[in-house]
Amino acid sequence: MKLDPSFIWTAFWQLLSAIPITLLITVVSVVVGFVIGIVVALIRIYKVPVLHPIAVAYVTFIRGTPMLTHLLLIYFGLPLIVDALAVKMGWSFRSSSIPMIGFAYISFSITSGAYMAEVIRSGLLAVNRGQLEAAYSIGMTTTQGLRRIVFPQALAASLPNLSNSVIGMLHGSTLAFTVSVVDINAKAQIVASTNWKFFEAYLAAAAIFWGLTFLIERLTAVIEKRIHVYHRGGVA
Amino acid sequence: MGEPFDFTYILTFIPKLLSTLQITLFIVAGSLLIGMIVGFLIALPRLYQIPIVQTISKVYISFFRGTPVLIQLFLFYYGLPELLKLAHLDVSKTPVLAFVILTYGLHTGAFMSELIRASVMAVDRGQVEAAYAVGMTGYQAFVRIIMPQALAIAIPVFSNLVIALLKDTSLAFTLGVMEMTGKSQTLGTLTQHFIESYIALALIYLVVSFALEKFLKWLENGLLQHEQQDTSVRSTRLTLRKNISYRRIVTEMSTGKGGVDL
Repeated sequence: MKLDPSFIWTAFWQLLSAIPITLLITVVSVVVGFVIGIVVALIRIYKVPVLHPIAVAYVTFIRGTPMLTHLLLIYFGLPLIVDALAVKMGWSFRSSSIPMIGFAYISFSITSGAYMAEVIRSGLLAVNRGQLEAAYSIGMTTTQGLRRIVFPQALAASLPNLSNSVIGMLHGSTLAFTVSVVDINAKAQIVASTNWKFFEAYLAAAAIFWGLTFLIERLTAVIEKRIHVYHRGGVA
Repeated sequence: MGEPFDFTYILTFIPKLLSTLQITLFIVAGSLLIGMIVGFLIALPRLYQIPIVQTISKVYISFFRGTPVLIQLFLFYYGLPELLKLAHLDVSKTPVLAFVILTYGLHTGAFMSELIRASVMAVDRGQVEAAYAVGMTGYQAFVRIIMPQALAIAIPVFSNLVIALLKDTSLAFTLGVMEMTGKSQTLGTLTQHFIESYIALALIYLVVSFALEKFLKWLENGLLQHEQQDTSVRSTRLTLRKNISYRRIVTEMSTGKGGVDL
């Protein structure tokens, strides 16, 4: 078997059709994870009773186990729970009506939530305590102080980590093939299965991922430059 | 889907899964070794700014950080035998484990080189200059002055890398390696108790990564002892500033593996 460069090109064009699925999984998990992350981070920083140990356990468990196990646990465990509940409550809803991609959304959101919580927490801790005190002193409420003063600064501080998390979720979305969602990785397998040119197909897939990662990094650099405008020195 | 939930299966699965823990740890140790060597080789050209080689290093790092490790596994598994065939080397008899360890090794190498580079850059420039001033050669300055300091800075991020690697190895089952994840899938298929076997799997990963973290923390405390002695002597203002800069260094240094791992 020889390397077939023309097939890389063919595979590349066929893989393009799977990009939306990969991006959709990434965007959903990052956005939902971000919301989970803010809630968990605030619970941990304000040491909310009862919820605090749960938040710590959640973050520890997710960060201590591979993303693949989360997906498998959700994929096999969620139907059990949903069906048991449905029988008890008399719902007509059954787990079989959850689409495959739904499992990927749920599990990856849970995964990214824990990582986002750590990113956001470290960002919030990086903001000087005096900033919130100054907000109080001019009469802001805690919500106003957090939203107007602390969060913008925390986000700026955690931008590099956030971008790493997004890239991590983009790369993690390749796991979706285990629950038979056709993302770029699964598509590469399908494309190659007819003629066994796996190497060429995966080269094309790698090129696409490389490009997507590069785009995210560029985008982060642009945003970072904008955010840090106030950091510049001098008089002008 | 499968049999009803039965708690006792988790207990019976744990020892069965533990019997394959050594393969997982073997992959981690092997790829860590390759990763450290590769990482060092990749980092040196960038640190000393050697033209051309430096660019190759950059592309290497960009590729391994820019593509998912799963894709890399498949690339090496399918691609390497074909490439070696061009050089008239037959590797069809090589065990899959070798490909897996090589891939993880090269993958970790990229992150390791970023870590090495960042921690060497974090050592004050004046340290090397002082070493040259007392007549050390470049090699002596690196080994005696830079390396011990860089090592202490690198340990926290290094520990993140090791744990990320441990979690990444769960993907080796896609190539048919019988490590813990592969074993848990087999157990699930055999008994139809999938959820129990994955709970057992998750528990083992949790304990192992927790133990690794504690061990590396202990190592870090040992290596950072000189810093602690320093700070107790210094005035509080200096201590404060030092801590801030240390935190800044560590956050700037995050190799990208600190975020989400597979």
